[in-house]
Amino acid sequence: MSSSTSSDIVVRTKNLGKAYQLYARRNDWLKQVLFGWWKSFFKPFWVLRDIDIEVKRGESIGILGRNGCGKSTLLQVICGMTLPTHGELRVTGRIAPVLALGSTFDLELSGRENVMIGGAVLGLKRSEVLRKFESISEFAGIGDYMDQPVKHYSMGMRTRLAFSICAHVEAEILVVDEALAVGDAAFQRKCLDWIDSFRKTGTLLFVSHSMAEVRRLCTRAIWIEEGRIREQGDPSTVIRNYHRALLVEKDDIHRFSASE
Amino acid sequence: MPSVNVVNGKQIVVESAGPVQQLVRFVVKPFVRMWHHQDLIAAILRREMSERFKGSVAGWVWAVVAPLLAIAVYTFAFTTNLQLPLANSAMGPRVGYALFIFSGIIVFNFWAEMAFRAPMLLHEYTHFIKQTIFPSDMLAVISTLRATAYTVISVTVMLIFQLVATHTLPWTVVLIPLIFIPFIAFLIGMSWFLCAIGAFTRDAGYLMINIAPLFMFATPVFYPQSALPAPFDFWIYANALTGYVEVMRDIVLFGKLPNWHVYLWSLLTSVFTFYFGYWFFDRYRNVIVDVI
Repeated sequence: MSSSTSSDIVVRTKNLGKAYQLYARRNDWLKQVLFGWWKSFFKPFWVLRDIDIEVKRGESIGILGRNGCGKSTLLQVICGMTLPTHGELRVTGRIAPVLALGSTFDLELSGRENVMIGGAVLGLKRSEVLRKFESISEFAGIGDYMDQPVKHYSMGMRTRLAFSICAHVEAEILVVDEALAVGDAAFQRKCLDWIDSFRKTGTLLFVSHSMAEVRRLCTRAIWIEEGRIREQGDPSTVIRNYHRALLVEKDDIHRFSASE
Repeated sequence: MPSVNVVNGKQIVVESAGPVQQLVRFVVKPFVRMWHHQDLIAAILRREMSERFKGSVAGWVWAVVAPLLAIAVYTFAFTTNLQLPLANSAMGPRVGYALFIFSGIIVFNFWAEMAFRAPMLLHEYTHFIKQTIFPSDMLAVISTLRATAYTVISVTVMLIFQLVATHTLPWTVVLIPLIFIPFIAFLIGMSWFLCAIGAFTRDAGYLMINIAPLFMFATPVFYPQSALPAPFDFWIYANALTGYVEVMRDIVLFGKLPNWHVYLWSLLTSVFTFYFGYWFFDRYRNVIVDVI
């Protein structure tokens, strides 16, 4: 990484593809595990195909697309949770995923205990979490509920707590997946302000169905359709074309069936 | 250097290494990862420990009462009329045989807890595995450490009972870690293997529920290995638990050093299971994320 141009690129994908293995019968996976070297027993279901993205340090990318187009899978692949089936992927820097906020919370435990576990899962040391705890609970703004079991929380409160944990990870690359949809307007503004300040130092990958958010936060937009990049570039142009397409194309019920 | 570097579904390790270096890397890898994730291990372990007795008033008292109760029942259950091992020792026949069984059951229960739980382990943590960057291989370590805590309580209860009943303990009890550390490694390796299998199919869980109780009799828990007829007293060592039970009894009850062949055999099964389990888990780790 000697040349300055390549070190500025934090995420690079080349011809990236991801296929899930669809099995006709429930137990075909066993044959696949045992005899996979001989022949394959599954039908590949391509969720992502030919994805070429280069994200430079300090950019913020908004990812658009309809449900099931592969947006979330793309983020999961970039975060390294699941491996791409082919193509190249290079990520440089500490990455923090803000996916499905709060789904990892243990409902029986208090908010405080969940902060300790959530912080550890995101790679913080225990001492770091303890040091940042005040700040986390202040950002979440849920007051005395911090010591109540999470099962008594509302959806919005869970989102608040989860987002404030993620906001304290000190990541270089932040990957946000429709995280803000549940919070109230005031909290959304707080999060957006925080993301704004984060963008000064870090790189942002952002999935949202709110065009206003994308327009406000992103320097570039990528529109994904059926696992391929349909258009990328200036946010307002991409958003306009995306909107137009949504009006023209019906909500086709056959979208999710595996073709080919 | 990129933190993630994947080409065609394979992680790329940039620096090249000779076979010796690769072997060394493989050998230290599980330990490096445990060290690296120590805070995560501690956080989840803490949660798992508190979870077990959540909502009970007595809480941790149960962890002590259960082995106490067991050892009391064994003591009263076995009559002096039977020709029992340790019948002529200073401990007295009843106490001797009760301790004999109890030491076997401690080892067996430790194993059984992992055998029952491991196949479902990854399912318990699906959210973590699918939605965060989570070191799923550490789950086997965490759950084995949790079981270790309960085993330590049982062993302590047993030693106190033995001390009260016989007013003495053999010096060899200080060697207990020498058998428990390999046993823990054995169980972690087994858990890696079982939880990887269990991620693909629930059958692994059902199989273990049916098989594990049989192992109670296929392991010298109620009888000494030496009481078996000719070919079986050797082949019983194919059940790796036999060695651990025997060494445990030698150092805690009989107060003698274990037979070196048996101890080496136990070490061998431990190291093999540990690394085989890790190799197996590592091999399927990326597939597991997609099937679970």
